[in-house]
Amino acid sequence: MKNYFVSPIVVIAVLAFSSFALAQDTPTSRPGQVDQRPPSVYQKMADAGPGGPAPVHDLNGFWNGPLEPKFGDMPSLTPAGQAKFKLNIPDPFSAHSNDPWRTCDPFGFPRSATNETRGLAFATMPQGIVLMTQYQKIWRMVWMDGRALPTNVGKKGGPSSRWYGYSIGHWDGDNTLVVETTGVDDKTWIDRRGYPHSVDMHVEERYTRVDHNDLELTVKIDDPKMYTKPFVSVTNKFKFTPQQQEDEQLCVPSEAIDYLNTIAIPAGQDEVGQK
Amino acid sequence: MRIKIGLSSAIVISLLVSIPLFAHHGNTAYDTNKAVVLKGATVTKFVWGNPHTFLMVDVKDDKGNVVHWAGEAGSPSSLGLLGWTKDSVQSGDVITVYIYQSKTGRPVGRLNKIVLADGTTLKDSALGYREQ
Repeated sequence: MKNYFVSPIVVIAVLAFSSFALAQDTPTSRPGQVDQRPPSVYQKMADAGPGGPAPVHDLNGFWNGPLEPKFGDMPSLTPAGQAKFKLNIPDPFSAHSNDPWRTCDPFGFPRSATNETRGLAFATMPQGIVLMTQYQKIWRMVWMDGRALPTNVGKKGGPSSRWYGYSIGHWDGDNTLVVETTGVDDKTWIDRRGYPHSVDMHVEERYTRVDHNDLELTVKIDDPKMYTKPFVSVTNKFKFTPQQQEDEQLCVPSEAIDYLNTIAIPAGQDEVGQK
Repeated sequence: MRIKIGLSSAIVISLLVSIPLFAHHGNTAYDTNKAVVLKGATVTKFVWGNPHTFLMVDVKDDKGNVVHWAGEAGSPSSLGLLGWTKDSVQSGDVITVYIYQSKTGRPVGRLNKIVLADGTTLKDSALGYREQ
């Protein structure tokens, strides 16, 4: 009897993984359907090869990624985290969700690194690195001049919390950029599933340039107020774009509201519980 | 038998649980068994937007009454790969629309494809996979 329960768990795990793959940029087909969607720029580069060794301390340029990254560890919420998580109702296509995406509010951080990840760029400045995200044309300053992160954000006399917080960075070896962020306004979500965070959250992004054409990212969250232990939120892989050409991907508030009123509500998307 | 039932249940449950959890943009609101065909549809609005593009058309029903239809399609990034541009359709264009109607029965749905006056076919990035 015991074995009967092992198999379903395996099946569930496999299907959960396979359905996750559906959410990626991989063209899929269903019975009776003809797969006609051409590959994205990211998919076309799958066989591009390493393109040579990774240059030292250099991520500059534009990188293509998949539509969505891979989720990492299952977050373990504290009671306070659970209470806050329950308040978050994700779904950009529902009139009754409170997903910031629904009305194109800023993703904030770290959602800008865990949701809609088709494009990413780095540019070196005199005192830091600007990290740019294609979706919503987001700009984050990562200070590389040795300054420390603020420790009293949101406290009396301290700096204000911000949508994208405060970020500093350093190189770990020749090819890994480590970005640390704190002071993020707690109204932003960690990801599209609605996981919450406090202003005291500490996020570590590790960007490792494996070779000239390949970049790997791990996003790690540490927020004792909301989670019982640190966890990997997502991992992702990017490809250096030969043409260095970005797309314009903007979520426009007036269009999003128009969509809800014209499509989502009349179509009854809430009525069928679309999530 | 108990094994088969157990496994089948597990498969069904896991499908029900896992796909909605991870799907990026769902289409459960629509009847995707067969597309409704709207011939002689006049475009009144085309929004090339994120997260979804949508199209509005006026079309006469069997009784000659004008019905206002609205249909959503994929994002500009996805549709661009299929040959769509922001100017593929404009207000006043007369086209044929293949659309999966809402299960509510209202004149709204998910596009399968559109056919322009010159015969050009533009497919949706998700459900447009299916030939109608």
